[in-house]
Amino acid sequence: MKTLVQEAASELPGVKSFLPRTLRAKLLGLVLGTSLVALVVAITAMVAYDLHAYHQGWVNDVATQAELLGQTSAPALAFDDAQVAKDNLNLLRFRPKIRAAAIYNAKGALFARYLAEGEEPGFPALPEADGTRVDKRDLIVFKRIVDHGEIAGTVYLRADYELYPRIIDYAGIALLVMLVAMFIAFLMSSWLQAIVTRPILAIGEVAREVVTQRDYSRRAEKLSDDEVGVLVESFNDMLSEIEKRTRDIESSNHKLALEIEERRRSEVEIARLNTELEDRVRERTLQLEVANQELEAFCSSVSHDLRAPLRAIDGFSQALVEDFAEGIPEEGRRYLSRIRVSAQRMSDLIEDLLNLSQVSRAKLAIQPVDVGDIARQVVADLRLRDPDRVVDVSIWEGMQADADPGLLRAALENLVGNAWKFSSRADKPRIEIGVLRDREQSTFYVRDNGAGFDMAFKDKLFGTFQRLHSASDFPGTGVGLATVQRIIHRHGGRIWADAQVGKGAVFYFTLAGDDSEEPSPSVERAS
Amino acid sequence: MANFMPTFFPALIRLVAMLCLIVTCGAAIAQGDEQAEYRVKAAFLYKFGEYIQWPEDSFANAKSPITVGVLGADKLADELVRTVGGRTLGGRDVAVRKLRAGDPVADLQLLFVGRAGVERVADVLSALKGRAVVTVTESERAFSLGSMINFVVVDDKVRFDIALRPVEESNVKISSRLLGVARKVLPRAA
Repeated sequence: MKTLVQEAASELPGVKSFLPRTLRAKLLGLVLGTSLVALVVAITAMVAYDLHAYHQGWVNDVATQAELLGQTSAPALAFDDAQVAKDNLNLLRFRPKIRAAAIYNAKGALFARYLAEGEEPGFPALPEADGTRVDKRDLIVFKRIVDHGEIAGTVYLRADYELYPRIIDYAGIALLVMLVAMFIAFLMSSWLQAIVTRPILAIGEVAREVVTQRDYSRRAEKLSDDEVGVLVESFNDMLSEIEKRTRDIESSNHKLALEIEERRRSEVEIARLNTELEDRVRERTLQLEVANQELEAFCSSVSHDLRAPLRAIDGFSQALVEDFAEGIPEEGRRYLSRIRVSAQRMSDLIEDLLNLSQVSRAKLAIQPVDVGDIARQVVADLRLRDPDRVVDVSIWEGMQADADPGLLRAALENLVGNAWKFSSRADKPRIEIGVLRDREQSTFYVRDNGAGFDMAFKDKLFGTFQRLHSASDFPGTGVGLATVQRIIHRHGGRIWADAQVGKGAVFYFTLAGDDSEEPSPSVERAS
Repeated sequence: MANFMPTFFPALIRLVAMLCLIVTCGAAIAQGDEQAEYRVKAAFLYKFGEYIQWPEDSFANAKSPITVGVLGADKLADELVRTVGGRTLGGRDVAVRKLRAGDPVADLQLLFVGRAGVERVADVLSALKGRAVVTVTESERAFSLGSMINFVVVDDKVRFDIALRPVEESNVKISSRLLGVARKVLPRAA
């Protein structure tokens, strides 16, 4: 209460820097300040009106009194009877506020006079002009006596003028009234301000609780239907919104957490499966390798074992022809010759199979190689073996690659050998060995203008023992392209072909890790 | 009043001067100067007119003057003429008439009978009894003869007494304010 009073006092004008801090004190100050201003204005107006009325009334009263005295005393003046005039003036003893009075005759000489009890004597020597004036605390009135159109004399009245004592009295009353009124206003507003402040303070309290306890389900109580009530509703709506949002966020967070957990579990599961898969692959690979090795060992031993009887068949067939040439008829020699050709073919086949098996087993020794150099050696071998053929061979320069030189040579022997073989019936046989480069890798190719093949069978091209031409047209075992494919695959590359029947074929292959420079095409011609 | 003053100042000066004259005359009676006494009495006579109301039928018409008859006091009559000097009473002119014994008095409004005419006063007063003529005398015995106003000199000052009975018997009304300044007022039943 004491602080309220102090704060309310600070609300008075000229104390701006000490505005009260609480809403209650501000309201109280507002009410008291407003009441004070209203009171001061009202009291001032009333006092001003009253003083004005007093002044007017008293001046009129005294002036009227002067007029009456004048009229009454006119005969006395007319008939020069000072005693009558004095008697008239003496009637003023019933008007104690009139302290002194006098009548002057027409000449201006004092004719009769009157003094209230205890009043100091003192009269103007000569009458002044008609009128009233206030001299300090006296109201002084001069009034001409006009009798039958002639001035008979002048009345002089001196009365108490109590304007200033009245002002002081009023100031005292006003102070008292204001004190009482302010005290009552203070009590009433102390009591009534709760109507305004309670809902607002309640909102503040709820807001504080919401912040500290993070409990968005709290609601402020609506205590009135005024603006504060609207504020409470808005505040509650806001809380509802926040509560809803918070709930949404929490639920979405929860969902996200669940999803993350799920994903983490899936990842663990995947990792586990991967590990398992890898293990299984390793296991299978091992099994496969073992099986392959067994198969190849079997194949190798079978090949070796098959060679011996073949050699015997061939050798004894030859011996028969040489040793018993006369004893064998022509037809028999022809049979023996065919036996020997078949044995030779079988031997070639076994050789190829052994090669294929070796290609699969041999360890890779990757190193930088010049594909062109190897191709030239291969072509040179072919020319040596078949010196009658005239083939136009062009090989690009600078075809660098990383590969196993032995295996690459085996692949090229097959590819270039095929080209050599299938172009044998062309008018102008031509073989081109080159490279196509793009940003990622080099694609080597071997092109010929020979027999070609039907693209419908391209799937079978690289199969073991698959032949697209009859052995009578072009001799072969059907193992060569299978060997080439295996070599290319072992290097991590790819092989494919493009062909047209009668127009020639192109075999493309890539070698992984190849990164050679752009070659400058140059043609090596053989005649 | 401030506005009133300048416009009426000349008239004021004139009136003040005249009243001064009256007062000065009053003061001069102390020397026993008959001239001065008559001057005051003349002024009083004129003033009486201001406090007296005559019935309308006592005048011939609305413009008829108030006629003052002076019997046996020609000096006073002269003073009165000077005092009146063109002034009016209640809108009527004031005419002064010097009377001799036997002159008609019935058409007068005010009659002054001086000491010189006192011998014939009884006849005149009785003739005017009940008529609207205010009678003024300056004799001690005049009241018993039916006079209305009688001048006396007290302490060298002119005073007057008023007898109400003859006033009431005539239809004349005398203002109570005049009674207020009379030295003595004789009641009706006197």
